[in-house]
Amino acid sequence: MPTVLQNIFRFLLLVLFQVLVLNNIQFLGYINPYVYILFILSLPVQLPRWFLLILAFTLGITIDIFSNTPGTHAFATVLVAFFREGIIKLFTNIEEGNNPTPSFYTFGVSGYIKYVVVMVLIHHATLFTLEAFSFVHFWIMVTKIILSSLVTLLLILGIQSIKTK
Amino acid sequence: MCIPEILFFKLHIFCEFSSIMKNLINFLIQYSVVFLFLLLEIISFTLIVKNQEYQKSVFLSSSNSMVSGMYEWSNSVVEFFKLRAANDNLSEENTSLKNQIINLQNKLSTLKPEASDSVHFRISPEMEYQFISAKVINCSTNKLQNYITLNKGAIDGIKMDMGVISDEGVVGIVKTVSERFSVVIPVLNPKIEISCKFKRSNYTGGLLWSGEDYRYANLTDIARHVELALGDTIITSSFTNSFPEGIPVGTIEDFKIKESDAYYKIKIKLAVNFRTLSHVKVINYLNFQEQKVLEKKSEE
Repeated sequence: MPTVLQNIFRFLLLVLFQVLVLNNIQFLGYINPYVYILFILSLPVQLPRWFLLILAFTLGITIDIFSNTPGTHAFATVLVAFFREGIIKLFTNIEEGNNPTPSFYTFGVSGYIKYVVVMVLIHHATLFTLEAFSFVHFWIMVTKIILSSLVTLLLILGIQSIKTK
Repeated sequence: MCIPEILFFKLHIFCEFSSIMKNLINFLIQYSVVFLFLLLEIISFTLIVKNQEYQKSVFLSSSNSMVSGMYEWSNSVVEFFKLRAANDNLSEENTSLKNQIINLQNKLSTLKPEASDSVHFRISPEMEYQFISAKVINCSTNKLQNYITLNKGAIDGIKMDMGVISDEGVVGIVKTVSERFSVVIPVLNPKIEISCKFKRSNYTGGLLWSGEDYRYANLTDIARHVELALGDTIITSSFTNSFPEGIPVGTIEDFKIKESDAYYKIKIKLAVNFRTLSHVKVINYLNFQEQKVLEKKSEE
């Protein structure tokens, strides 16, 4: 039960942080971090996949409603949730029957960093490509993807390293 | 005699059918996650593609009352820090308005003695405007397509396609209206192009955002024979029904033209700072409907 409460709390906190703080950030005109993805990153490893997808969709559509971009965040978040299991299997070896929450401690430092990097890159690449959907500025898009991913990564790794457990 | 046979045949078909169904269900269960994934992605994608129509439906945009309520709350905190600048602007505008009143009164008094029964005074119809003041409760500047949410809606008399200005200049055009909120497409969105002209020469062109910086936009369709200078003022032309003529848009920051080009590449510094936007005025053009109907009629 505590994990459920913890996740609900994390959901609300990340959505509020994203919508009220990060969506107002504009650094150098390109950097626009999306840290809410940390919610999907931190769900327990053995969570049923269908439930993970539904949670991802809910998270995405919530962010969408707040930022006037119907569908964009939902699409990117569901996509990244779909690939999560494969990516976890790729970078870590969790024993059968274990159900850890992804972090530096459970995945190991390098495993966790690789996992976050790949997930954030997939998410941001999809997101900014979709955002540019009707408006073609290829190099602006690429710069945005790279710089924003970098800042999101730093924020996520920062948040995770502050946590004591 | 043949009745049992038919029954048997029916049973046989039923069995066949049920085994097919079983296989189908097994197949569905096995790939249920993939199907769910595809379903959710298709829903999201339809939302993106139908963005235009959904902008009009209020539910999924930030004029949704719950979302707006939250923004209003967050804004009430942030607005505190902008009060000083807003006050400055208001007092400045007040004085300029007072000056105008005095000017107009003076003009009126000079006209009065000659205003006998033969002279008929009338305001020209394209000048009949009213302003509705509103507050910005959400504003993005860092996306490729930005939107602004206002705290006034249909019950305050706001309708689609009304122009929005601030004390500094043009802000955008109203796109979606709910009962108490409305969403504006600002200049910082490639979906709109506002017709503007040079203050000193009357050449018109379209203002289009480049998607990079919230301080600058581009002016298109200015032919190479037009004379320009850095710092020239750009104002709205009377060709968009949403804005009256003469509202400031910005000044020329930079312009380029290649030997082979027929049109200038002009970079405009926008008059409005969208990062500090807090109070705006929505323009209610009283003869909008009449003009639109007339123009449509003559197109037919």
